[in-house]
Amino acid sequence: MAFTLVAPQQQAVPSSPERIAQAQRALAASRTRGRLGLIPAFVILTVLAVIAIFPIYWMFVTAFRPADQSLSTSLAPGPFSLENFQYVWETIPILRMLLNTFGMALAIAAGQLLVAILASYGFARWRFLGQKTLYLLFIGSWLVPFQVTMIPNYVLISQAGLLNNVAGVIVPQLAAAFAVMLLKQHLDSFPKELLDAADMDGRGPWRSLWEIVVPNLKPALAALAIMLFINAWNEYLWPSLIMQKSNDIIQVGVRSFLGAEGNNWGAVMAASALACLPIFLIYVFLQRYVVDAFVRSGLK
Amino acid sequence: MFTEVLPQQAPSRAAADADPAGPADPAGPADPAPANAAPADAGSTAPGPTAPWPAGDRRRARRRAPRPRFSVAPYLYILPATAMLILWTYLPLAQTFELSFYDWNLIPTQPKTPVGMGNYAEVLALPELHQALWNTLLYIGAFLILSVALPVAFALLSKRVSGRAKTVYQALIFVPYLVTPVATSAIWRWMFAEEGGTIPAIARTLGFEMGNVFREPGGSMIAVMVIVGWQLLGFGVLVVSAGLAGINPDYEHAAGVDGAKRRQILWRITIPLLSPSLVFLALMTILLSAQWTFPVIDLITQGGPSGSSTNIYYLLYEFGFRSFDAGISAAAGVLFFIAFGLVALLFVELTERLSFHDN
Repeated sequence: MAFTLVAPQQQAVPSSPERIAQAQRALAASRTRGRLGLIPAFVILTVLAVIAIFPIYWMFVTAFRPADQSLSTSLAPGPFSLENFQYVWETIPILRMLLNTFGMALAIAAGQLLVAILASYGFARWRFLGQKTLYLLFIGSWLVPFQVTMIPNYVLISQAGLLNNVAGVIVPQLAAAFAVMLLKQHLDSFPKELLDAADMDGRGPWRSLWEIVVPNLKPALAALAIMLFINAWNEYLWPSLIMQKSNDIIQVGVRSFLGAEGNNWGAVMAASALACLPIFLIYVFLQRYVVDAFVRSGLK
Repeated sequence: MFTEVLPQQAPSRAAADADPAGPADPAGPADPAPANAAPADAGSTAPGPTAPWPAGDRRRARRRAPRPRFSVAPYLYILPATAMLILWTYLPLAQTFELSFYDWNLIPTQPKTPVGMGNYAEVLALPELHQALWNTLLYIGAFLILSVALPVAFALLSKRVSGRAKTVYQALIFVPYLVTPVATSAIWRWMFAEEGGTIPAIARTLGFEMGNVFREPGGSMIAVMVIVGWQLLGFGVLVVSAGLAGINPDYEHAAGVDGAKRRQILWRITIPLLSPSLVFLALMTILLSAQWTFPVIDLITQGGPSGSSTNIYYLLYEFGFRSFDAGISAAAGVLFFIAFGLVALLFVELTERLSFHDN
């Protein structure tokens, strides 16, 4: 029975009992050492995970408590109640805010993706005069902090009559230089043979893009789309400037709710939970894509 | 705002892409005549055989298409992105520069009064600016620890934990990064609440009365650091872990066989090979920490008490949209833009010199 610890090939070789015992001891020792060595790592990682998750857990626990028990410090959830959500539902048009924000984030992500597909294809497929300069324009743009350009942008949007209008939030964000750069890097490593074959089949560049390139880049495009959506949903400054007098976007609507409800923690937590619910759902179901997208954005 | 492309690689790629033997058509990058032409037309407007797919074997490509004809196609594809980039980033940047020489209260009917360098002189003399600048530096320092140094330590630890457990830990640690700003602020106001808040309760059991952190000068800044650090830690761990995963384990095995100790392997092999990820994270932290803290400052402390938790971008926002002094805001913005641009260039330069690439 004890022999099962030894690797089979060693078992097959006839050897003296002392030798086998020795090997067994060595193996057992190294396993214990390996496991014990991992204990600090597990402990530290668990502490870290608890620190990361606890505030979010606490948000949900508080939100699902009866309103008069908001200040309870019991770590266990319950008693379960939807009172706080009901209050939020009745006090602010939370559903309309969520739908508006969803539409806005979807429009921004779709626009950024489309514009980026076209531009990155243009950059990666051809060589042309001024290419380097134009690309530098894209790289340089993310060095311009938004706060430096916000006043002229605000003035332009207000001249266009789009203040307090969701369109005013969407339009300036339709192009993302970073999405162009990310996709171009993908396209640079796209197999040329596929495009050569498409050329020989008599497809023009436009059809090649949609029939060859896009279908082949699906995973990367999906990851990028999800990330663009999450970023658009979480954008704070620009919506809060443009939607000052209308609470139709979740960031702004919940902000004024927080201001009005002050220390009604149960209701505040319920509203906050609803504000990040769509992103959490995306993360739960598409976790691999989300992580992929954020990792790639930093590394490629 | 966290999600920017690794910048230091981009210039070299752009340089590699610029083909000196490219189409030297005298027409140059002429503006494609119909400025609003839908890119859908690109396919049909591209005259004849287009320039070769550039990243291919150049010699072979040249033989096949010795003199690629000038084509408007690439410009048409790039047009929508470029037009918006100019309209919403570069034109406003120029306008901010222009505004910085005027006195204006953001009301369209009010005239802009030229004041020359007055705004700059005024901004540089403001004590608020000095404090905001100092705070920004403190924030950067804190986040270099919270979002670069700590993630490296944790990623190295989680590397030893393998398989499913590692994935679960990383997934959990990343969640705070996805919490939307209003929710982040609400959660942490609740966590720090004087009555019923978890953190003061813990402090109380340790025999220490916290009071309202957001009302104390030192406390509110530390609270902002804790909150934003909580959000960024997972992102840092993710980036560093991905960097570690990209290191070929053969190097470490070879060093181990050669008798290198664990510490030597870490400092002589792992960290140098990790340096591109680290430089990226550090650059992100320096350039973007002022923007990451913005929603938290705006939603919880409003920069207070008495400017103790503000940062430069929050100050820009206050100048512009609270005191409606566009000129001052623009002048401060121009100064910060120049300063940060220089820092970024320095970093790009450093990256090129210091980074080790696993080629």
